[in-house]
Amino acid sequence: MIHDMNDEPVQPFDDAAREREWLAQETAMRRERLHLDPHHDDARTQRYRMLARALRQAPEENLPPDFARQLAVQVGPVRRASSDARIELALIVLPGIALVVGLIVVTMLYGSNWLSPMFALSQPIVASWHLLLPFVACIVFTGLLARVRPSARKH
Amino acid sequence: MDDIRSSPDRELVDAVLANRPGAFERLVREYQGLCWHIIQRMVRHPEDARDLCQETFLRVHQCLHQYRYESALKSWIGRIAYTIALRHLQHKRIPLMESADGDMDEALIETIGDGFDLETACADEEAVRHLHAAIESLPPVQRTLLTLYYLEEMPIPEISRVTGLAGGTIKSHLFRSRLRLRGALETGTGVAA
Repeated sequence: MIHDMNDEPVQPFDDAAREREWLAQETAMRRERLHLDPHHDDARTQRYRMLARALRQAPEENLPPDFARQLAVQVGPVRRASSDARIELALIVLPGIALVVGLIVVTMLYGSNWLSPMFALSQPIVASWHLLLPFVACIVFTGLLARVRPSARKH
Repeated sequence: MDDIRSSPDRELVDAVLANRPGAFERLVREYQGLCWHIIQRMVRHPEDARDLCQETFLRVHQCLHQYRYESALKSWIGRIAYTIALRHLQHKRIPLMESADGDMDEALIETIGDGFDLETACADEEAVRHLHAAIESLPPVQRTLLTLYYLEEMPIPEISRVTGLAGGTIKSHLFRSRLRLRGALETGTGVAA
């Protein structure tokens, strides 16, 4: 694996001749960018350096000097939330509201049929909670003991 | 991503979104060169390129609140400029790039000679003109990749973010374009699109 000029990985070509030519192109670009003395370059590097010089030239045509100012005047202030963002928000919020309203309506209409059986079913679970208390107490006690023991050893 | 979030990009974007005076003008000034280079190299028509640059910054202005700092602001704006220019060329049914031809590359590597006199070539304005004509005759995408690589000094991964092309594809295009331009320099002829 080789690296390009900014040290980002670039996969080499499978063909050795192509890879050699690529490396020659890269070397010439680097040497031209650093303005190194061309008299030590071979003919191929000289050719690629001439090419690099041509490619580094900016186009003769350019944007008008006041392009940025004119554009800034034309556009005015930025709208933080554009219409598509508002639509996106509405698409998230509206179904949520519809769901909550639907849930309230269904509960009011049919709640009596299933709320009381649910409460009846939950009674044994609530009643068995006291069995969990010794278990929780064991965990807490073990945790406290683990903290106390190392300090006791130090003393 | 942290370096992008804490970079000058962040300050500039925040300033534009907060509608601070002069912030958008500063953003345009900062990136108008990049957009111009991309679009001008793609479309090669100054008036169209100006209009497309304007369209690019209008799009930036419209969508800046959607910028999530997942890439540098330069890449994000460059991507918009590239996409707008690409769409323009597609609309005009202009061929964007040429297909890969590995055999032709090998033939060029083998046949291009080393008999080259730099000083003579540099002094020869005709040779330089030939070279520029050869660059101009490359297909739009290849021309733009060379511009981003040489003029903007973008690394291949960043060019990939701008153009949406895979790194390997970009490397292949750069390689082939340079090889053919070297051939054009040797023979003093243009490069067929």
